[in-house]
Amino acid sequence: MALIDYRPDAMRCTRCSYCKWVPLDLVKSWRYAKGCPSVEHGRFHSYSGGGRLITYLSLLDGRSEVTDRVVDIAFKCQLCGNCDVTCKVCRYDMEPLAAQHEFRFWLVEQGRVPTRYESIIDGYRRRGTMVGDPNTLVGDPQSDGLRWARDLRVKDLNTDRGEVLLHPGCRFSYDGGLGPVARTSLEILQEAGLDVGVLGAGRCCGGRVYHMGYRDDFTTAAEATLAAWEAAGVKTVVTLCADCYHTFKRLYAERGSSVEVVHMVEMVARLLAEGRLEFTEEVPLTVTYHDPCHLGRQGEPYVPWDGVEKKIFGQAVVYDPPRPRYNGAQGIYDAPRDVLRAIPGLELVEMERSREAAWCCGAGGGVREAFPEFNAWTAAERVEEARSTGADAVVSACPWCERNFLDALRGPRGGDGTGVAAPFQDSGVAAAPAGRGVAAPGVTAAADAPFQVFDVLDLVRQALPRKGA
Amino acid sequence: MGFTPEVYKLFEDIVGPENVSDDPAVLDSYAFEVLADLVRPEQSHYMPRPVAVALPGTTEEVQALVRVCNVHRIKVKPLSTGWYHFAAPQSDEHDTLQLDMRRMDRILEIDETNMVAVIEPYVIAAQLQAEVMKLGLNINVTGAGASCSILASACAYAGQGPMAYWMGGNAENLLALEWVTPTGDVVRTGSLGSGAGWFAAEGPGPSVRGVCRGTFGSRGGMGVYTKCAIKLCHRPGTTEWNVHGTTPAYRLPVDDLFRVYTLAVPSWDAWADLYYKIYDNEIGYIFHRQFNLAGANLAPAFWLMYNDHTKTLGDVEWMAQDPAVKELTEEMRISFQFIMAGRSTGDIELQDRVLDALLQQVGGWKVERFCEDDMAEFTNMYLQRLGHKHINYVWAGGYVGTWMQIGTPDWVKNYIPIASAGLERDAADGLLVQCGGDAMMGSGSGFPGGGVTGLEQFVSYDANDLESTRAAVRHMEDAVKDAASHGLPPGKEGLYLELSKTDEQVHAELAAANQPAIFRFQRKIKDAIDPNDIGDRLYATLPPEG
Ligand code: SF4
Ligand code: SF4
Repeated sequence: MALIDYRPDAMRCTRCSYCKWVPLDLVKSWRYAKGCPSVEHGRFHSYSGGGRLITYLSLLDGRSEVTDRVVDIAFKCQLCGNCDVTCKVCRYDMEPLAAQHEFRFWLVEQGRVPTRYESIIDGYRRRGTMVGDPNTLVGDPQSDGLRWARDLRVKDLNTDRGEVLLHPGCRFSYDGGLGPVARTSLEILQEAGLDVGVLGAGRCCGGRVYHMGYRDDFTTAAEATLAAWEAAGVKTVVTLCADCYHTFKRLYAERGSSVEVVHMVEMVARLLAEGRLEFTEEVPLTVTYHDPCHLGRQGEPYVPWDGVEKKIFGQAVVYDPPRPRYNGAQGIYDAPRDVLRAIPGLELVEMERSREAAWCCGAGGGVREAFPEFNAWTAAERVEEARSTGADAVVSACPWCERNFLDALRGPRGGDGTGVAAPFQDSGVAAAPAGRGVAAPGVTAAADAPFQVFDVLDLVRQALPRKGA
Repeated sequence: MGFTPEVYKLFEDIVGPENVSDDPAVLDSYAFEVLADLVRPEQSHYMPRPVAVALPGTTEEVQALVRVCNVHRIKVKPLSTGWYHFAAPQSDEHDTLQLDMRRMDRILEIDETNMVAVIEPYVIAAQLQAEVMKLGLNINVTGAGASCSILASACAYAGQGPMAYWMGGNAENLLALEWVTPTGDVVRTGSLGSGAGWFAAEGPGPSVRGVCRGTFGSRGGMGVYTKCAIKLCHRPGTTEWNVHGTTPAYRLPVDDLFRVYTLAVPSWDAWADLYYKIYDNEIGYIFHRQFNLAGANLAPAFWLMYNDHTKTLGDVEWMAQDPAVKELTEEMRISFQFIMAGRSTGDIELQDRVLDALLQQVGGWKVERFCEDDMAEFTNMYLQRLGHKHINYVWAGGYVGTWMQIGTPDWVKNYIPIASAGLERDAADGLLVQCGGDAMMGSGSGFPGGGVTGLEQFVSYDANDLESTRAAVRHMEDAVKDAASHGLPPGKEGLYLELSKTDEQVHAELAAANQPAIFRFQRKIKDAIDPNDIGDRLYATLPPEG
């Protein structure tokens, strides 16, 4: 597709501004009604999903030119997909999210990108991962990305063959502050008797460069990864990262991959349902679950489509054959909640903006890398919402969300931990703040403990039978 | 005079550089408006582009911006949520500063005892409703729906909708008001003007609701409304908002004190009779002909499709041919939605018995399929929140409402056949959506307690298709002629078409209107309040005298 292919979407946009809110039926308060981080931060209409359609329409119509402001508009957005969900509550002929991706591809082709992008993409091309950019990220680019699997016997699918690949993703591989989520996952898969292996460090799925608009770099990453999977005989990839999940499930599938893609929370839910895994230990916490954008509303399965627009009833716009409808209806929402509810002693409470209406953690779409202040503001907003539920902790199923929440709680330069939005500057130092769910099984937070951040697998680990017990 | 870099600097000094822009692409996101394509040259989707857009955060900032505009003779056009071409600048000849009021987004007060809320312009209906429902209260969400500003509906637009039957239109629900006039003065109306709080519109302070709103609402043409109080009303039953279901067809469980029905009648005469009987018997809470927006031939198939998230718009084609759906289509050809709320179990049961009796008297019935749990919960959700109003554009991104002349049911029923035949005729060449000649939708009553109603013909076109768009314009012109040939005034299409006309044409039409004295009087108001003409012509007046 090219940007011009999305001209009809812009022409048919009604400027209704539904895309600025969560689905209106789901509004439960004044405070948590807003759904688009970009327009809440950027303020002008152009920073909304619909506003971007009009922005590129104006450019295509020759009414305006690409200015620094236009570049800012195009890229200062997490591509979180809330606009897509809300627009499609009422429309079947609009693809605001896909159009925004295309807008970025178009600008990247012209070399019109935010100032920080050049060093970020340069670093990615050198290191093969987004993690470790000294400007923006914690994580140690020099470290061995397989350090998390130390002492474990695991197949190396670079040299061996295996049907199941565990793909922890860059952030769990390199960000030591995120705890032993990858290790726990590997242990669970092995104990379930799966023929599981890993592919070693440095294999980025390419999703984040895709979101930044570098389609060619993504294609290179995807082709290399798919070739490695093929060589190793991989039939199922289990990932711990929502971004990787979406990349494999949707973007790789779009490029012909038929490898089954499973998020680890789905795998745990499956093993629990089959009685192959059981929780015995109490985890007396009240938690709220944050739906990662790429596992929740964007986590829907890929459906191949090669069709055309046609009209019925004179002018009603439909597609022949029917176009797949990605509207968040079939995202992965229940599996993580089922896992959490199965943990003894744990209480799950919901945020107002949940499931397809979840507010983004802030990290997506290249925002964490290029716009740290916006990133931190968005994360702090989510932390505040999580705290408002009365929960002890926010739990997610994506390391990018977790890293962002940890940073928001830590606050600028070590901050006061309130999670209140403030100008953000990453120290560039790996950190494991107090309260991260990395304690030994059975050890839980004290009543006056600070608000905590967990991965679902952190809590799964705590709930598993104690070794040797 | 006019906009210059120096003036831009003045705007920056007032609101801060981050809250003002003159980037052409940013400005186009304000010029682009739905319905523009029906009134602008060459069917352009853009209204006149503002010279700058500013986002004031306080009344004082609004005042300061307006004053600068007075000095430099720049028009001022405020928008809250900004849906429809009325919200954009109206003049190609004059520089216009667009005010986007989104930074003024607070609910300042909810006075539960006196049932009053005080709000700023960017509070949308969904937000205010969500907050007041926690207290067992409700607001009139206007026909434009939950995404729209309650302040704008009350101060600057017609403000009616499906809930007006119980709660009143928002022109009536408007209480005290803070108004930055076109010269930058702040007027505090009603009780606020005498320091007595927000509770009353007409005194003990100045009573200027009629002055600042005008007849239909000033539509951003007469200064800037910065705060207002709005009347709340009682909502029986639960204070919870237990929405559930899979997108897009969210559902709201039907509380024990509520009943949710789709009612049908055998003829338009029976329809009018039933409306009168409902008014007379004082039953009901939300009263609307909603689902027929998809057209009498397609509505059942469309809504059943919509309620199945695995289906998509193209499925309506074959679903409409299903024999069971065809039967349902005939069953609900003349139908409407009706929600009743009781103050007690006895009350709702009585209303139920009354409704059954009324249906019997007119030969009407409840449409069973649409009263089953799934559709009843969906209807309950749809009409209580009005969060699906964008579905008006579902067929192809273009919709224009025609007709909607408001009057008694007997009067309205007489134009329905004319409006239906008109759409059938104009859609015959396939350039408009063919969904049955009757795609008429509207509130059961424009006023609390009933009395008058109106139905709007839903005319859908492809906003990405020039020929289809032109067909919609032709249909609007035809609707005006059809109405005139039956001695009727223009409907909504007349209001929209006004934007395509010159000042001279508009003034000539206002002079020939049934009550031109209104517009002569509004001219005097404009001369007094807006001497530098920084408002636009949507505040309707005759031309300056002499
Ligand atoms: S993108 Fe969709 S939701 Fe947003 S303004 Fe346009 S039509 Fe409305
Ligand atoms: S993707 Fe998310 S941040 Fe970007 S415009 Fe849509 S809702 Fe806003």
